[in-house]
Amino acid sequence: MYIKPIVLLTKTYNEMDVITPQVEQIVKESEIQNGMVTVLTKHTTTGITVNEALECLESDIALFLQRQAPEDAPYSHARMLRDYGSTAGNPAGHLKAYLTGNHCHFPLVEGEMIRGGAQDIYFCEFDGPAKRTILVIVQE
Amino acid sequence: MFIDIHVHPAFFEPINQDEQREELRHRELDIHRNGTAPLEHIFNQMRCAGLDRLCLLGQDYTSTVGDTLVSNEEIHQLVGLAPDRFIGFAGADPLAPGAVDRLEHAFTDLKLRGVNLHPGRQHFYPADERLEPIYALCEQYDRPVMFHAGLSWEPDTLTRYCHPLCFEEVAARHPKLRICLGHFAWPWVRETAMLMVKYPNVYADTGALYFDCAREFYQQTFTRDIPVTWIDRSLRHQVMFGSNNPRFEQIRMAQALDQLGLRDSTLELIRGGNALEFLGGSL
Repeated sequence: MYIKPIVLLTKTYNEMDVITPQVEQIVKESEIQNGMVTVLTKHTTTGITVNEALECLESDIALFLQRQAPEDAPYSHARMLRDYGSTAGNPAGHLKAYLTGNHCHFPLVEGEMIRGGAQDIYFCEFDGPAKRTILVIVQE
Repeated sequence: MFIDIHVHPAFFEPINQDEQREELRHRELDIHRNGTAPLEHIFNQMRCAGLDRLCLLGQDYTSTVGDTLVSNEEIHQLVGLAPDRFIGFAGADPLAPGAVDRLEHAFTDLKLRGVNLHPGRQHFYPADERLEPIYALCEQYDRPVMFHAGLSWEPDTLTRYCHPLCFEEVAARHPKLRICLGHFAWPWVRETAMLMVKYPNVYADTGALYFDCAREFYQQTFTRDIPVTWIDRSLRHQVMFGSNNPRFEQIRMAQALDQLGLRDSTLELIRGGNALEFLGGSL
């Protein structure tokens, strides 16, 4: 198994970043020819999703998630957290992450990550800006 | 000009190259799971909040903890890395030997713009006579004092040292000394308003967020615990935006401020004009 992180500094509160090239570079570095690739975010207010990399779809997805988890709804998570020593103001981010999911998988065949022609891998930030870590896991 | 007058830079990456020092900060501030922040991230956060300047506060807890949490030299270092974005305040431990000399060094050689004191953590009453040399030095150099006031989440803090009434003698004895009751001395916001309406040298910042989300807490604190008209009509020259970051949320608090229903001209004062006055009239 080969694991390597991608570290991002996101710039805005909510954003979607295509990370397909970084993932494919790590798959290549692994020198593993056949197996499975997993892309996994280490955070709970971020998501990993697969979709077509079009500006219009990014906008639609962002608005869809905003409708499902509006910022100004009353949330139980809006409270002081003792384990952190800080206030949790990011319940909408947690819910968006819940909807998006935290990982994706692709098969690896003869050194090539097999994905559909319209499929790109997105890292989704729902509580930025922040320093984020994504794991790329290549398994034989 | 939008200024956050109350920022603790304890987890800024450039001053966290020593793991033991970082661990000390997590333990003594009781802030966890936040990691360290590269300056690029701090700048991204400022941009999202619309902030132009951050006032970085030193913390000297030599008497009670045995060390500084953020030294004056570290504040000086950070200001030097981004002088167009950061304003530096010294920390002082008034009960430690040599405190006045160190503070004078911070004002003169390190060019720090004020001093940060935490009566609850440092275990003194603000009106204690032992503080007089510190106040005299601040008056001599025309430097303001940022006090922690009201509830503190830090360990080993006693709130009885932080009640607004504890600060009245300081305000009365030193009418030319500008003092800020950090966190609006929450939960005693009415008492803080009482001091402010009587003493024009008393300021307060908005760095409190102990319940609910920023919008809900600001609505409760600044429109119901005290009517928003008190700020908009009478205290508009004495309230400053402060986030107490990283304990609280700079971006959402900045947005919550805009939703209070204050006049635009009052908002401008709270966002920056009052901080400039507090700092002595200029950056």
